[in-house]
Amino acid sequence: MTPDAIEEQIARTATGDRAAFGVLYSATSAKLFGVALRVLNDRSEAEEVLQEVYVKVWHNADRYRANGLSPMTWLITIARNSAIDRLRKRREGQAGLDAAEAVADAAPGPEALVVQGSEREKLVGCFAELEEGRAAAVRRAYLQGESYAELAAAFDVPLNTMRTWLRRSLLKLKECLTR
Amino acid sequence: MTDGRQPYDEDDRILAGEYALGLLTPEEATRFEARLVQEPELRALYAAWAEDFVGMTDGIAEVTPPPNLLSRIEARIFGAAAKPSLMQRLGLGWVSGSLAAAAVAVVIGLNAGLFDTGPSAPADPAYVAQIAAEDGSLIVQAAYDADNGELYLRRDVGGAASGRALELWLIAGDNAPVSLGVLPETQAGSLTIPEGLRAQLAGGVLAISDEPPGGSPTGVATGAVLAIGPVSPT
Repeated sequence: MTPDAIEEQIARTATGDRAAFGVLYSATSAKLFGVALRVLNDRSEAEEVLQEVYVKVWHNADRYRANGLSPMTWLITIARNSAIDRLRKRREGQAGLDAAEAVADAAPGPEALVVQGSEREKLVGCFAELEEGRAAAVRRAYLQGESYAELAAAFDVPLNTMRTWLRRSLLKLKECLTR
Repeated sequence: MTDGRQPYDEDDRILAGEYALGLLTPEEATRFEARLVQEPELRALYAAWAEDFVGMTDGIAEVTPPPNLLSRIEARIFGAAAKPSLMQRLGLGWVSGSLAAAAVAVVIGLNAGLFDTGPSAPADPAYVAQIAAEDGSLIVQAAYDADNGELYLRRDVGGAASGRALELWLIAGDNAPVSLGVLPETQAGSLTIPEGLRAQLAGGVLAISDEPPGGSPTGVATGAVLAIGPVSPT
């Protein structure tokens, strides 16, 4: 299904169209389930998260346009955040990640509007430009929900060093991605 | 850092990235979210990172969720009471109700591998169907072998109530449902499709009703329609 077609189903879902919701589920659930499985590595937990995700989608479909994300990014981000939140229930001390994709008011900002799919293809190349280990830290934060403290322990560096590394890496990454 | 902020302030750019990764402390994240509501530029920075980072999921393979998951989601959202029953929908018209279900059905049955435990399921079925109850309480996979006119059936979930039988019906176009016979009591089995009906499988809908032992005595469904599923070419 094309991004436009997915957007169409989200828009219809926002009006309470159950059939559109079903079509949206059919078109997107396999990707979102794959993401939840990857993060959680547990089938029953991933199924539980997938249910939570689509309940959120149903209730927040009317806010989709306000957040400035492309439709699959919106859906995958909800799935990733929900899965990470569940993963962190086994851990502690991190904030929930639910709020940003549900922000209700105002139009998307100018930068979001020009983001295109081609940016994604650049990501791999830009990761490769980072110093060794830095890209892995970003990946672990995104796909395993690791905190600065957990990353510092995993890479065996002081917490502040990890924080500095990662922030610099984000700047380099963005510089490369917008080049 | 409270005023004179530029739209693409470097610190905010980093902050938005940290937020998108989930690296902020709960207090930092709450503060960021409060700003997010107020500042479109910050939302744009967050959105840009979200688009960038989602690229990390590009290599993650799709995995089809279990067939009853949508029913479970719908039950959570709409509640069991809010759902029209199959009987109600079919009362409004067999075909329209069935086709609405067909439009939203996740076609799981397209994989011939699903039938690997069947009696002698076709390796290359002409048609397949997943005949499923809305609440996932009954799920039957069907695969049609055009070479011998056999419809192979595998009951994955649920079964006949005690002292009752499950009867399979074919609904083709505007025609009244035609019985294809009573489902085998075994988990997997097959029914021979009468020659006159074989051409009607394409584009048809299969339905399963609750009937007395031996099937409906009248030739039309007498019990509740438990499950329906569209027939799809492979």
